[in-house]
Amino acid sequence: MALKIIESCVNCFACEPLCPSKAIYEAKPHFLIDAKKCTECVGDFDVPQCASICPIEGAILDALNVPLNPAGSLTGIPPEKMAEAMAELQAH
Amino acid sequence: MELPVLNEQPKGGCSASSCGSSDDQLNHLSDEIRAKVQNHPCYSEDAHHYFARMHVAVAPACNIQCHYCNRKYDCANESRPGVVSELLTPNQAVKKTMAVAANIPQMTVLGIAGPGDPLANPERTFETFRRLSEEAPDIKLCVSTNGLALPDAVEELSKHNIDHVTITINCVDPKVGAKIYPWIFWKNKRIKGEKAAKILIEQQQKGLEMLVAKGILVKVNSVLIPGINDQHLAEVSKIVKAKGAFLHNVMPLIAEAEHGTFYGVMGQRGPSNDELQALQDECAGDMNMMRHCRQCRADAVGMLGEDRGDEFTLDKIEDMEIDYQAAMEKRKVIHQAIEAEMNSKRAAKVEVKAEKLNTRPVLMAVATSGQNVINVHFGHAKEFLIYEASPEGVRFISHRKVDQYCEGDTSCGDGESVLQRTIRTLEGCEAVLCSKIGYEPWEMLENAGITPNGEHAMEDIEAAVMLVYNEMANAGKLDEVKQRATA
Repeated sequence: MALKIIESCVNCFACEPLCPSKAIYEAKPHFLIDAKKCTECVGDFDVPQCASICPIEGAILDALNVPLNPAGSLTGIPPEKMAEAMAELQAH
Repeated sequence: MELPVLNEQPKGGCSASSCGSSDDQLNHLSDEIRAKVQNHPCYSEDAHHYFARMHVAVAPACNIQCHYCNRKYDCANESRPGVVSELLTPNQAVKKTMAVAANIPQMTVLGIAGPGDPLANPERTFETFRRLSEEAPDIKLCVSTNGLALPDAVEELSKHNIDHVTITINCVDPKVGAKIYPWIFWKNKRIKGEKAAKILIEQQQKGLEMLVAKGILVKVNSVLIPGINDQHLAEVSKIVKAKGAFLHNVMPLIAEAEHGTFYGVMGQRGPSNDELQALQDECAGDMNMMRHCRQCRADAVGMLGEDRGDEFTLDKIEDMEIDYQAAMEKRKVIHQAIEAEMNSKRAAKVEVKAEKLNTRPVLMAVATSGQNVINVHFGHAKEFLIYEASPEGVRFISHRKVDQYCEGDTSCGDGESVLQRTIRTLEGCEAVLCSKIGYEPWEMLENAGITPNGEHAMEDIEAAVMLVYNEMANAGKLDEVKQRATA
């Protein structure tokens, strides 16, 4: 049972000091979680700390590779609206 | 949308320098506060013509999300808060600051403003401040924060050489706040909606009161978001003034779809120049307003409106040998010379008065790179300062950037030329004062109803603006009373 950080991480450092298990470490090209140390905060907090402060949707996945913060959940931008805006920009 | 008609001028008129935050209004401040702001380019409208500032990007983490911010952003061509190119460690930040201080001696102020929230990165932020207050004691330190972690940081802030704090306060009502802040991270949980906004507002107000009680100067920044907080900011201004903030800076929302922010993608528009000015004027009755803010990047270096960050990248500062003791002596001499120049200009200033008393106000654009004089060629101007002339006097209104988001590149945008875009930037102005101007722009400006004027090169801005105003008045161009701001 462990969370993981994927490549959309922007290296903002917010999660690292919050981890009760010191499982998060700075790495290139982005921060990583040591799966052996990660407890998903069970026993320490009600909710995983890294996923509770991470500002990037989709950057932290659970053991089943499901994002803890799915698209639209943090910014409030509906995913279809984001896709529409990006498509329009590409067209230019 | 119906906009409020401009407020009447305060009695006795209002010169440009008193409407920013300097001269007249600074004279009302205690000597102690005046000494603190007189060479701070962000706090004193007068000082920003002479002194430079820099930001070091040591604070990447944030504890809230704002709808005008996208944490993924990093673009060298962008100039707006929250954007940086290179994240620094405290050690690198100290080195960079000393390199800039030695090479740009008019740099007086070092700020930490992000790219996240400085107080959400207390170790990195305070390590930088602690070392700079020991190793470079002639540099003023300041910090900009969303306020969430502020009450817990006040004690530590007061220990260093920090006498200025900026808090971004966009609202005092959680209902409004819920439309600006989708979430905050608070006591180990992500909190959303009005509940989140309420906590943030309480922390901001508490932090403001605690700073004032410690004698630390507080500036409040507010982002004007049409339809969200435009009707609300006058109240914010009243409240923060009552609590002791000494300056209020209302800034326009920057929102473009390509920034990937909530407001950008959802099509929220920014305010027009008229809307921004109307609100700043409405707040000015209650509060000392700041109008010369350039909304700098979190790693900006140089005079307000310019960015010399490229000269001080990590690889470049690595090779610089800095003797800070020697630099400090040189800086001292240069600062004294600048202050002497400011004082002698102030003393020698000849106030030009309006010759007619019933003429309408006029907006004029001025091309300047500092020293309070008209000294930039029209074609070289990256920004224009906007002044209003009226029978009551001349006052500074705002600045307008020529290329807001891109570097003079015709492939970007809808294909109009740089010149056409520049002229559109000057909408609402009836004259433009510059040191020189070419034939082509001259003709285009005239066709757009803007009178070009290159006759006052190297002259004092306010005096020149009034001279041009008098010429227009005497030519009978300003007799009818024009109703303003009905966009």
